[in-house]
Amino acid sequence: MSRRVYLDHNASTPVHPEVVAAMLPYFGEIYGNPSSVHGFGRDARAAVDAARERVAAFLRVRPDELVFTSGGTESDNFGLKGLALARGRGHVITSTIEHHAVLRSAQALEAQGFAVTYLRVDVHGMVDPDEVRRALRPDTIAISVMHANSEVGTIQPVGAIGAIAREAGVPFHVDAVQTFGKVPIDVDALGIDALSFSSHKVYGPKGIAGLYIRRGTKMVSIQHGGEHERRRRAGTENVPGIVGLGTAVEVRARDMKEEGERVTALRDRLWEGIRARVPEVRLNGHPTERLPGTANICYRNVESESIVLGLDLKGIAVSAGSACTAGSVEPSHVLVAMGVPLDWAMGAVRSSLGRSTTAEDVDYVVASVTEVVAKIRKAMPVGAA
Amino acid sequence: MRYSETLVEHFLNPRNAGLMRDADGSGSDEYAACGDLARFYLRVQDGRLAQARFQAYGCGPTIAAASVTTELAGGRPVEELVLLKAQEIEDALDGLPEDRKHAAEVAAGAMRAAALDALGRTRGEPMKGEA
Repeated sequence: MSRRVYLDHNASTPVHPEVVAAMLPYFGEIYGNPSSVHGFGRDARAAVDAARERVAAFLRVRPDELVFTSGGTESDNFGLKGLALARGRGHVITSTIEHHAVLRSAQALEAQGFAVTYLRVDVHGMVDPDEVRRALRPDTIAISVMHANSEVGTIQPVGAIGAIAREAGVPFHVDAVQTFGKVPIDVDALGIDALSFSSHKVYGPKGIAGLYIRRGTKMVSIQHGGEHERRRRAGTENVPGIVGLGTAVEVRARDMKEEGERVTALRDRLWEGIRARVPEVRLNGHPTERLPGTANICYRNVESESIVLGLDLKGIAVSAGSACTAGSVEPSHVLVAMGVPLDWAMGAVRSSLGRSTTAEDVDYVVASVTEVVAKIRKAMPVGAA
Repeated sequence: MRYSETLVEHFLNPRNAGLMRDADGSGSDEYAACGDLARFYLRVQDGRLAQARFQAYGCGPTIAAASVTTELAGGRPVEELVLLKAQEIEDALDGLPEDRKHAAEVAAGAMRAAALDALGRTRGEPMKGEA
């Protein structure tokens, strides 16, 4: 295998060299516990504080409105459960296309007696803000809608939803794991009270993420122990991770706009190339309101996993829209919610481009996809699926 | 790579893929849990399989399993193929991961159905299987 092309940036990204360099001292010479009063601890505390200020500046929020967590999943659990449990009982509104970290948190709340409305989406995977308004009840205590969907990349009208939430006096949580560092986020303009974000989707390390909590928002902790993070999230801080996140957002602030434009053009080149060469394909997600690097494409009557395998053998990393686990295939809950027919949904393949992606990579992928899909279709029963 | 070299080779270069016109027997099987499907078309001479072709829909292992089955079944008495076991197909692929065992099962089921269909036609009484 000669060429290797990574088109799975929505899953994870390589740590930026500047981020690695910034983190390294915190694995070695600066190893104190930030809670310790001695000099070793104070050095670590200073690093955590400085990184928190960087992330706060990037999001244009106050440093004390940020809580560092272990990942996007923890942030989502904290965001939704923290808001709901602080209110004891009531009704929660979310959407059918959320990440499982939100969906299963909502289901856990249902098991505890909360009522949950799961909003439908349109064919582009977009929530209608009017549906949010219609779903509101006198006992609605939280709304959680993601900023952009990881599978199809559709960017939700969170500003319109935030305005409705604010008008109703209901706190609004947004899972921004896929947009943080890729598209601008203004929590004030968008009316967001809690925002989940993660580091490893934007060239930072894994195992570090955060939750923005607007000052004055009633929240309860879901992890108990010491007095860390202003008693909102117990556990010794992941100092190297926090430092890495702090540097990652600085790099994003510098590179985000230009990279976004470049990656958007490559994403369109990929789709145009495939559309011109491969029969029976469709692009999922909103045509324009979509993450810069995300192209989710369905190949009718082909099972996505066989395409992923065929491309993997050519050194190309993409992800399957349906997952065959223990012999049972689940088509993506997002594509099902969008009303994509099963014979298309089973053949969904997501490519997510990033800072290292080149035009040559995209052309190689287009040629490889063309070859792999043609080969699989040759062995395919007509009309099966 | 979680798949054997043999499996990958058959996936990349499937043997005998495609439709066969005027087959002496054909049959298919589906793994309902994930919709994987294999279909075989058989050409029979003197009670033995002279040629097999396949069509498959599914993950890489299912395509590879159907491909390898057309090879391992070649030349064998059709009566014997009615009893083809999934294990033999799995062995011919140098193993399958636990969560992909169904690939061999669906190929074996389809070959058994095709063989049964061919036998039935020989005896002038169509049996289970499909054209």
